[in-house]
Amino acid sequence: MRAFWRVFGVAYAELLFWKRQWMWLAQSLMYLLGFAVIAIAWGGLAALKHIIVVSVIAGAWGIGLNVIGQMVGWHKLSKQYEFHVASPLSLAEYYAGVVLGQVPFLAADVAVPLAAALLLGVPPAPLLALSAIALAALALGSFLALAVVLRIRNPMNISAVTNPLYSLTTILPPVYYPMSALPQPLRLLALASPTTPLAELARLATGAAEACLDPAAALGLAAAWLLLSAVALKGALKWGLED
Amino acid sequence: MAVAVLADGLAKRFGAVEALRGLSFAARKGELVVLAGPNGAGKTTAVRIMTTNLKPDGGRAEVLGFDVVREYREVRKRIYYVPQDYGVYWDLTPSEYVVSVLMCRGFSHREARRRAREWLDALGLSQADRPLRQLSGGQVRRAIVAAALASEAEVLFLDEPTSGIDVEARREVWRALRERVRAGACIILTTHDMGEAEAVADKVVIVKEGRALYEGSPRDLVSKVPFAYRAVVRKPAPPALDHAVDLGDRLIVYFRSRSEFDGFVGGLEDPSQLLAAGSVGLEDAFILLLGGGAA
Repeated sequence: MRAFWRVFGVAYAELLFWKRQWMWLAQSLMYLLGFAVIAIAWGGLAALKHIIVVSVIAGAWGIGLNVIGQMVGWHKLSKQYEFHVASPLSLAEYYAGVVLGQVPFLAADVAVPLAAALLLGVPPAPLLALSAIALAALALGSFLALAVVLRIRNPMNISAVTNPLYSLTTILPPVYYPMSALPQPLRLLALASPTTPLAELARLATGAAEACLDPAAALGLAAAWLLLSAVALKGALKWGLED
Repeated sequence: MAVAVLADGLAKRFGAVEALRGLSFAARKGELVVLAGPNGAGKTTAVRIMTTNLKPDGGRAEVLGFDVVREYREVRKRIYYVPQDYGVYWDLTPSEYVVSVLMCRGFSHREARRRAREWLDALGLSQADRPLRQLSGGQVRRAIVAAALASEAEVLFLDEPTSGIDVEARREVWRALRERVRAGACIILTTHDMGEAEAVADKVVIVKEGRALYEGSPRDLVSKVPFAYRAVVRKPAPPALDHAVDLGDRLIVYFRSRSEFDGFVGGLEDPSQLLAAGSVGLEDAFILLLGGGAA
């Protein structure tokens, strides 16, 4: 029971913070709405359905990479990290609390597009698969962000690192547009972004657009990225007793 | 009384900088120990090691008999640490802040609220129901101290907890810290304020260049100084001053005895040159022992 309260304690402060900084959430919803309008204007309902489906992945990826990355970065900067280390809180509880603290973002960036996908006719089983891919995207995004953020000895401006990383991995590679739109050599280059196989998996699971990767390749690539980022994180992650 | 914190020959190096060079000291349960020393002396490094944030390169440290490296989990259950320049969630009210901190340590929401009320009240913050960013620096520091005291940790490490607090509020913090010590807790506190150390410390450890230079009660430390009285005088200074610290347009002059002091004051050309006088205190001892100014 005490472990539950410890996790919730970390989340509690974050949740109160978001409650008073609700404009961030409004911004997230405005982005989603804007992308939806652009999709309808240029491609009708088919484009809208695709944008909504991949928004689930981009949203979860953004929470992991940008929001969690910045939160932990701020904890390092403000000495909250040191404060938590010298307490009964374990690293797993701390991470779970930070993720739980992003529930408002999960609602705005993941739950809203999931509900919209349901309204657009995506059946429950593919939606469930989409939710699982979103969870993997969140984990992968946070692992990657933390692997970078925790290696910065004196973090000053974490968003200056995570914001460009987010743009680089969501706007440039085939996330919001199908991979088939890219010429062959660029498709190979696109695989350098972990979001490419995740978006491909989302397209495969929902049939929202044509996918270029076969399911095994997309799954294998996503798993490889997850493993790679976990290894990168392991080298950076220290819960006290630093050298 | 049992030893609560033990540092034994702690050594730590950051690249070319030797932060700790064999720091040793002990603190008992029911004791408030002040770590004092100039900037860069190694106080914060020592605290970071004892709070299991840093691994020492040499020596060992124990908290309540548990080794801070090998048995760090046991140590973490029993300590509370407020780092220097610790930042809070500025959008939280003092009550929300204390509740969140206590929940992070495993207290239920209900119990955390009860304790938060009790300790915020004790530190005069029960009416401050506004986000921390709207409160004074002193009120924020008091909220931070309230959370530490409400935690029921057996050993508290507070790195400059009263910086920025006005005199009156600081005394409320001191009173709360002393009550906690009287209840059996051990508090390790770092400060630059020797007045604070004199008022609250059972023991002062003066750290210089990574070593403990002196360890003892404030009174013991003052007694190590070969002077008993001090005077602050406006220049021009009388000739033949043996022990004086130059402050620009004034001097702090130290005297071994009352007769020496009286002789000096009586010899002043203009009595209004004497600006202040009194006994030698911990701040004087600190400066003199560190070799920072006695002429």
